[in-house]
Amino acid sequence: MIEQTQKASSPRARKKMLPVGHYRGLGGWTVFFFVFLYLPIVVLIFYSFNANRMVMNWGGFGFDWYLKAFQNEDIQKAVWNSLIVATIATIFATAIATIGALVLARGGNFRGKTISLGLITLPLMVPEIVTAVAVLIFFSAIGLKLGLGNVIIAHITFCIPFAFMPIRARLEGMDTSLEQAARDLYASEWETFRYITVPLLMPGIVAGAMLSFVISMDDFIITLMVGGAGSTTLPVYIYSMIRRGLTPEINAVSTLLLLVSIAIVTAYWVVSRKSEADTVH
Amino acid sequence: MTTAIDIRGVTKIYNPGSNQPVKALDNVSLTINDNEFFTLLGPSGCGKTTLLRLIAGFEQVSGGEIMLFGEEIENLEPSQRPVNTVFQHYALFPHMTVAANVAFGLERLRQPKTEIEATVERVLTLVKMKHLGDRPPSQLSGGQQQRVALARALAPSPKVLLLDEPLSALDLKLRQAMREELKQLQKETGITFVFVTHDQEEALAMSDRIAVMSDGEVQQIGGPTDIYEHPVNRFVADFIGDTNFLDGEIVDFNDDLVTCRIGSSSMFEAENSGGHKVGDQVTLFLRPEKISLSAPDAASGSATRPGKVANLVYLGNQAAYTVDMGDGVTLTAQARPREDGNLPFAIGDPLAVGFSSRALRVLPQ
Repeated sequence: MIEQTQKASSPRARKKMLPVGHYRGLGGWTVFFFVFLYLPIVVLIFYSFNANRMVMNWGGFGFDWYLKAFQNEDIQKAVWNSLIVATIATIFATAIATIGALVLARGGNFRGKTISLGLITLPLMVPEIVTAVAVLIFFSAIGLKLGLGNVIIAHITFCIPFAFMPIRARLEGMDTSLEQAARDLYASEWETFRYITVPLLMPGIVAGAMLSFVISMDDFIITLMVGGAGSTTLPVYIYSMIRRGLTPEINAVSTLLLLVSIAIVTAYWVVSRKSEADTVH
Repeated sequence: MTTAIDIRGVTKIYNPGSNQPVKALDNVSLTINDNEFFTLLGPSGCGKTTLLRLIAGFEQVSGGEIMLFGEEIENLEPSQRPVNTVFQHYALFPHMTVAANVAFGLERLRQPKTEIEATVERVLTLVKMKHLGDRPPSQLSGGQQQRVALARALAPSPKVLLLDEPLSALDLKLRQAMREELKQLQKETGITFVFVTHDQEEALAMSDRIAVMSDGEVQQIGGPTDIYEHPVNRFVADFIGDTNFLDGEIVDFNDDLVTCRIGSSSMFEAENSGGHKVGDQVTLFLRPEKISLSAPDAASGSATRPGKVANLVYLGNQAAYTVDMGDGVTLTAQARPREDGNLPFAIGDPLAVGFSSRALRVLPQ
C-alpha cells in the first residue's frame, strides 16, 4: 500500500523514471533501512527458538518455549479472547462499513454526505490513546459492564474505518452501468444487489474484513483501557508478562502473533491484487 | 402501422431544485413505429442518450409522458419494462461467463432451465459467439464483447431494443461491418431498434427513420434521404454530410425557380420550395457531390460557370476541392482521381463548374 501511495503522489517519478541506482550510497541506505526495520523482529524470532532459560543467552535450538506457551492456560485463554474479539468485531465492523460505503457511493446526493465521509475516516487520525480514554469514560458513564463485550464494542468502533476504506475504494471503481444493466435485464433491486453488487464488491469486503481482523488482533492500548479482569487479549497478556520479567516464552508467543498477522496481511495483498486484475473497463 | 413508442411532450431537467438546473430535453414529441430501425442522431449533449435512458427507465421524466405500445410506462421500474439496452461500454458482468451473461435476464424472468439453455444457444449463434460461451468477458475482444452485449439484450425477446452508441468503441473496419450486421439482425428479429449515435454516416446507413436532435430539441424526423436531401434548417444540413451554404437575397422568382443574388452580383437559381418573395434574405445549400468539375475547354456548352482551384485535400478515393467562383463566393466540390491515380486538377487551375439549379435548394428559415 505504501508503495502505491508513493507512486501516485510523485508525478515527476512517473514522467521520467530516474535510475535510482546511480545515486551513490543509496544502496547502503536501503540496506540500513531494512536492517533498522526488521533486525529487532528477526532477533525476537531467533531467540524464540532458544533452548536456554535466559532470554539473551543462546543455549541451542529448541521448540521448548513454544511447547511451554501452548501449555500455559493463561496464554490459551488470552489467545481465545483475542480470536473471539477479532472475529465478532470483524463481522460487525465489516457489515456496518459495507452498508455505509453503499450509502455513500450509491445513495445519490444527500445533505451531510461529505461530512459523513469525513467522520467515518476521522478515527484513523485520532490518537489511539484519546479514543481509548473516551471509550473508557463513555462506558463507565453509561455503566456498561459486559466484560469482553465492552472490548468487542470498542473494537467494532475502531475497526469500521479500516474495513470501510477498501470497500469504498472498490465501490468507487465499480461501473454503475453494471447495476443498471442488471435492472434492465429484469432483476429486482434485491437481485441486482445479490447477483451483481455483492459479488463484484466481495474482494473489497474480504480485504476490509482482513484488515479489521489484523487491527483488532494487534490492538493494545484500547483493549488495555477497556478490558477488565478476565477479558485479557493476547497483546495485553504479553505486556503483563514483560512486566513480570522477560522469558523466551514471550518471544515464542510474539512470533506466533506475528505469524498470524503476516498471514492475513499477505492474504489481503493477494485479494486486493486479484480485485485490481478483475476490474474490466 | 403499430406505434411502438410514443413520446409526448417529454421534458427532462437535471438538478431541478438546484441553482444550476440543466434542461436536457425540451418538450420532445415523436413516435417510433413497431419493427422500425429508428435512430436518434445529434452531437454530444443534444439529449439523445437522455431520451434513451428515459425509455429504459434509468431516469424519470420531468414532464410529458412515454407510452410503450399504448401503455404508460412512467411509473414502471427498469426491470418491469419490456425493453433491453445495449450499453455504450457493454456493461458485461465481469464475474460471469458469456453464457451466464446472456442467461441473466431469462433467469430473472423465471423461465424454465431447458428453455433458457435453448435461448442462450440460439442468440449466441445469432451473433456468432456460440463457441465462446464459457469464456469470461475479460478474455474477449471489443467486437466480441459487443456481440455478447447484443445477445444478452436480445435474449429475453424485448419489444424494443435500445442501443446507446454501441459501435463507438470499435475500430473503423469493424464498425462498418457491424452496421450491416445490426441492420440484418433488426430485420431477422423484427424487434424495434432505437439506436443512439453521433455518427451521421452510421445513421444514414442503418436507419429506417432518423430524428436529428440538438440542444434538447428534435430538429427533424424523416427517412435518411429526406434528412439528407431536404433538411429543414441549417443545423440539419450542416450536421448531416458536407454542404455549401450560400447566403443571399431573392431578386426574382417563378413557379419552378427562385433567383438569388449571392455576393455583390452573382446570380444563382434554386428550386422554388414555395412561399418566397422578392427581397427575402435566404440561405441556399448545395451538396458537394452535385457539383461537376471539368476543364474549361472540355465543358460541353451547357450551363457552367468559370472557377479556379483555391485549395484541395486528397482523400484517396476522391479529392475535396475548394473552388473560387469570384465575387467572394467559394464552393466545395469533389473530383475522383484519374485512372493513372493523378488528380485531375491542381491548385490554380481554371475550371468549368457545373450544377443543376434543381440541386440548389432554399433552406427554410
